[in-house]
Amino acid sequence: MNASGHHFIADKAFLAFDAAKTGLAVTMRRDDEGLSALEASRLLAAVAADRDRAAFAVLFGFYAPRVKAFLKRSGMTASAAEDVAQETMLIVWKKASYFDPARAGVSTWIFTIARNARVDRLRRDGRPAAIAEAFDPSDQPEPPVLGEEAMIAAEREERVRAALGLLPREQADILKMSFFGEETQSQIASAFGIPLGTVKSRVRLALGRLRQILDDLK
Amino acid sequence: MIKHHPSDETLFRYAAGSLEPGPRIVVAVHVGGCEVCASRIGEFEAVGGSQLHDIEPDELEAGALDRAMAMIEADEAGRRTLAARPGLPRAEVGIRLPEVLDECGIGPWRWIGPGVRWSRVTLPGDDNANVMLLKVRAGRRLPEHTHAGHEYTHVLQGSFSDARGRYGPGDLDEADDDVQHQPIVDKDGECICIAALEGQMKLRGFFGRLIQPLIG
Repeated sequence: MNASGHHFIADKAFLAFDAAKTGLAVTMRRDDEGLSALEASRLLAAVAADRDRAAFAVLFGFYAPRVKAFLKRSGMTASAAEDVAQETMLIVWKKASYFDPARAGVSTWIFTIARNARVDRLRRDGRPAAIAEAFDPSDQPEPPVLGEEAMIAAEREERVRAALGLLPREQADILKMSFFGEETQSQIASAFGIPLGTVKSRVRLALGRLRQILDDLK
Repeated sequence: MIKHHPSDETLFRYAAGSLEPGPRIVVAVHVGGCEVCASRIGEFEAVGGSQLHDIEPDELEAGALDRAMAMIEADEAGRRTLAARPGLPRAEVGIRLPEVLDECGIGPWRWIGPGVRWSRVTLPGDDNANVMLLKVRAGRRLPEHTHAGHEYTHVLQGSFSDARGRYGPGDLDEADDDVQHQPIVDKDGECICIAALEGQMKLRGFFGRLIQPLIG
């Protein structure tokens, strides 16, 4: 492994972990805005194959603060969001070997874990929500493959990102906001100055346009 | 050959995690056997992934990483294995159910009308979802009906037809209150579906009307 980039990544991660251990805030890792899809994918593979703590620490430094932010945007309190972000990262640790780089990028995979953890939490709190992790059909164990397949998934994510960029601004915003849960529908309505009942049809329109663009980009 | 898929809107809500548990499991059954929808959901989930990647990160509480590292060490040591969910009872219903349903409870077939039986599907940790298996005799014509809210029906075996087309194994019928139809199960065999109703509203759809007295 030393011949590959793995050694370097591990060193970098140890630095990050040490920094955190010595009392520096985890948000020090903010400089890592550019954690590339491929690097994240390699780190996750190291967690899966070697139970690599240092690699996990880097992933934690990048993703946990983002998962927390995402959950707060979805309407969770700061402390619930912190809890669920921790849960999410523990699942990342446990299920690292289920990650299939041919199917999704790391950000997307972690998004689905956070989504399921959020849904689980809302259900435990007795609020209507979607279903738990147990039913995710994308949750089949796959041997981790790196290299070309990871590039293919990364390209798909780039394509989606490009498509969002090509959507009219309002449509892109409506789709993005929809990801923060249905509670935000009334916020969407007021943000765009449209009646609540119109939000659904706007989402439908935006999805139709997104599908067209994605198909054109294929 | 799958001809009928969930709408993009439904797949998007699935990806965003905002589809209710009942419809979600029915859509999951469909997606488990439909590459087209699996890939479509993958694209929508990538919208969520890019949202997560690009969001302004929040500050974690002090010591968050230490806690996480302690948790994974405990996990490695096997001290923090998640308690296995007690299995839900599963009646034998005579067909092999999709793996997605492995953790669901499956009730025994119950008669609800000439040529129609149903079995209640329960989701772990969720008693409120209206999900059921339906078994309808070959050639049975169902009364004309409309829907209150969305009904999601996925065909597991056999087929039925109505004015909109023919629904066979792997097809998912997403019917809302605009749809008025009179499905007929095709003559070549009984039809088994998994169906879910959206919302906790008073059920007025055909399946809903049949089921309402039973689930109170």
